[in-house]
Amino acid sequence: MAGRGKLIAVIGDEDTCTGFLLGGVGELNKNRKPNFLVVEKDTSIAEIEETFKSFLARTDIGIILINQFIAEMIRHAIDGHMESIPAVLEIPSKEHPYDASKDSILRRAKGMFCAEDFR
Amino acid sequence: MVLSEFEDLSLLLDEKLLRFMDQLELLEEKRAALNSLIEQGWFSISKARYSMGNKQVSALQFASEIEPLVCVHARTLDNGEVDFCTEKVQPKCSNEPEKHETPIEDVGPQEEGVRRRIKPKTDTMEKEECEEASSKKSPEITPVSRSERSPQQDPLKWFGILVPQSLKQAQSSFKQVIELSAEIATLQTAVLNTRQELKHSRKDKLILQERASAAQSDKIED
Repeated sequence: MAGRGKLIAVIGDEDTCTGFLLGGVGELNKNRKPNFLVVEKDTSIAEIEETFKSFLARTDIGIILINQFIAEMIRHAIDGHMESIPAVLEIPSKEHPYDASKDSILRRAKGMFCAEDFR
Repeated sequence: MVLSEFEDLSLLLDEKLLRFMDQLELLEEKRAALNSLIEQGWFSISKARYSMGNKQVSALQFASEIEPLVCVHARTLDNGEVDFCTEKVQPKCSNEPEKHETPIEDVGPQEEGVRRRIKPKTDTMEKEECEEASSKKSPEITPVSRSERSPQQDPLKWFGILVPQSLKQAQSSFKQVIELSAEIATLQTAVLNTRQELKHSRKDKLILQERASAAQSDKIED
C-alpha cells in the first residue's frame, strides 16, 4: 500500500512513553491530538478508554502499543476490537512484567483448542 | 469419494495446525526479544536519569511540537493477513504546500521572525489585528514557513545538548523495539488468520464426517 505511512500510538507510563518518543514515534502539533498518552496515577480509566477508542477511530494509526497493566483496566474495549488495523500490542511495564495468559490475542488463539480438536 | 475428500481435508488441517504452532513459537520468541529490549531501554533511561537528574528525563522535557521520525506501512495480503513494516519518515520538503493545515494564530513572542518590509494590501486588516495583539509579532508568517521553522528534530535534543551515552543507548533500544513491534503485529494477524482457517476447516471436516456416517447408516439399513 503506497502513500503516507501510519503512526504508532502509545498508551503507557512515563518511562514507556519517553522511550518510544525517543525512538521517534511521537506526533504532537496544533492541528491534531497527540498519538500518545502518558498514564499517571491520577489518570482515570474513562480517559484511558476514551483515548484508546479515539486511536481506534483514527485512520492514520497502524499500531497501538499499550502497557499490559493499563490494558487490563480497559480489557473489555481491547477484547471488542476485532479489526486487523490498528494492531494492538500489549507490552510490559516496569512494575508489571508481561503475562501471556492475559494477552487478548493469545487468549483468542488459545481458546480454540479442546480435547476433541485433536481427534 | 467422500473418504478421499475427508483424507485431503485432514491433511490440510494438519498442515494448518503445524503452521499455527510454528507461528505461535515464533511469536513467543519475538515477544521475549521485545520484552528484553524494552527492559534494556528502561534501564538505560534510569541510568540517564541518575546522571542528569530526575526531572531532566521526564515527560516535562517533551517538545511542544513533535514530528514522527518513524511510520508504519500496513499492507493487506490476499489471504487476509496484514503485513506491517516500519519506515523512517523523510524530512518534509519546504516547497510542498500544506493544504490540509489551517493557519493557526500563534499569540506571543516568536522564537524566530522575519518581518516582510513590502506589505501586501490584502493582509492589511490581519496585520492591524496582529499588531494589536503583540508588538513583537511578525504577522506575515504563513503556515508553510511555520512548518519550516519546526523541522524534524532528534528527540535526544529535548533533553539537552550533551546527553549521556545511556540516553543514546535507550534511544537505540527503543528503535529496535519499534521494528520488532511491526514484526509482532504482522505475526499476530497471521496467528489469528490461521486460527480462523483452522476453525473453518474443522467445521468442513465435521460436515464431511456427518455425511460419511449418514451414508454408512443408509448402507447398513439396505
